[in-house]
Amino acid sequence: MKHSTSLLLIAFVLLGISCASNENCTEDRIVKLGVGFYTQALTDTAKNIYTTRAINLDTLSVRGLATNGTLIDSILYKSKSIQKIYLPLNKFENGSKFVLTFKTAKDTVQVLHTNSNYYISLECGCMEVHSIDTVLTTNHLIDSIKIINHKVNATNAEHIQIFIN
Amino acid sequence: MQSTYKYLLTSLLICFVVFSIQAQEKQDKKIEVKEPKTKFWDGMTLQIDAASIVSSTLLSKDIYSVEAGAQIDIKHKYLPIVELGYASVNKTSLENLTFKTNGFFGRVGIDFNLVKKKKDVKLSPNLFLMGLRLGMTNATYTINNMVIASDYWGAGQTLPESKLSPSKVWFELVFGIRVEVVKNTFMGWSLRNKHLLTTDKVGEISPWYIPGYGRNATSNWGFSYTVGYKF
Repeated sequence: MKHSTSLLLIAFVLLGISCASNENCTEDRIVKLGVGFYTQALTDTAKNIYTTRAINLDTLSVRGLATNGTLIDSILYKSKSIQKIYLPLNKFENGSKFVLTFKTAKDTVQVLHTNSNYYISLECGCMEVHSIDTVLTTNHLIDSIKIINHKVNATNAEHIQIFIN
Repeated sequence: MQSTYKYLLTSLLICFVVFSIQAQEKQDKKIEVKEPKTKFWDGMTLQIDAASIVSSTLLSKDIYSVEAGAQIDIKHKYLPIVELGYASVNKTSLENLTFKTNGFFGRVGIDFNLVKKKKDVKLSPNLFLMGLRLGMTNATYTINNMVIASDYWGAGQTLPESKLSPSKVWFELVFGIRVEVVKNTFMGWSLRNKHLLTTDKVGEISPWYIPGYGRNATSNWGFSYTVGYKF
């Protein structure tokens, strides 16, 4: 009888430990396109070497352009000095358009991407991740755009570099 | 003179060999007498897992699981086992996702009794077990209400129902004890360290719970409290 009592006691302690679980979602479910602003300067004219340098933009505001061509009311960014921005890509379309308004000019950047569901867990559900195919831009102030990371599956990573004239 | 030495040396060697064989025989006889006898077939135990029933009725409203096993005793040292069970889960997460599964599972394996045989002492029916299991289930799983949240670009979307039926295979390291509480009636617990052999691809929809294995993770802990009768 002594045996069975101690057995039961140990059993319930172990059962309690094995059943303990965390039901809250602790994962980050937001992914954003990281955009860095750069300039290229010719540092060695003899050897034709350009040096890339990160720059702070004096003034910048960013708004999304809906698929029907109308500007979305909500402003994504409005800043006086900025070097990097993080933009949400459209989860339900294969393209996202942004209007970047600088101090002296305005450019439209179009990111063509594919979307896929990324299952995290029952506690957290699903999130949408993206893979960048192409990036197109107008060239009023922007000179060119370089994709450095095609997979948009986290925040705080840089995916594209915008070179300013 | 040399032949006398040879004769003496050979005689001594023969005597030594004969004595040592006799001494060994005596020693062997002593051990034979003292070692408790073990039968090759030492019975079969039918057992049910009370822990899964208690857990299903008292601790968790979402998971219902029952299992039973049959274990044979060979030489009171090797104990091959077959375990069969059924589990049903209906779980809704805080995010309102629903997960459902029901299916049978099975495990085969062997336990080793680590209780040492003591000389001149009757063989103990109690067992301290260490063993291995190979588990498998072919249950189906459904996940509903998965929502891609709304954001800057517009309203969210609810994904269609996901139905999965992957075969899941795992192995378990088992440690436990079993005590005879009444004649031929045994109670005992075992702690199981489980390792999934068929894992899911990262980012793909996967079951939350696997019948017989528990919460879906590369490794998991399980616990069983068995009540059994030895025939």
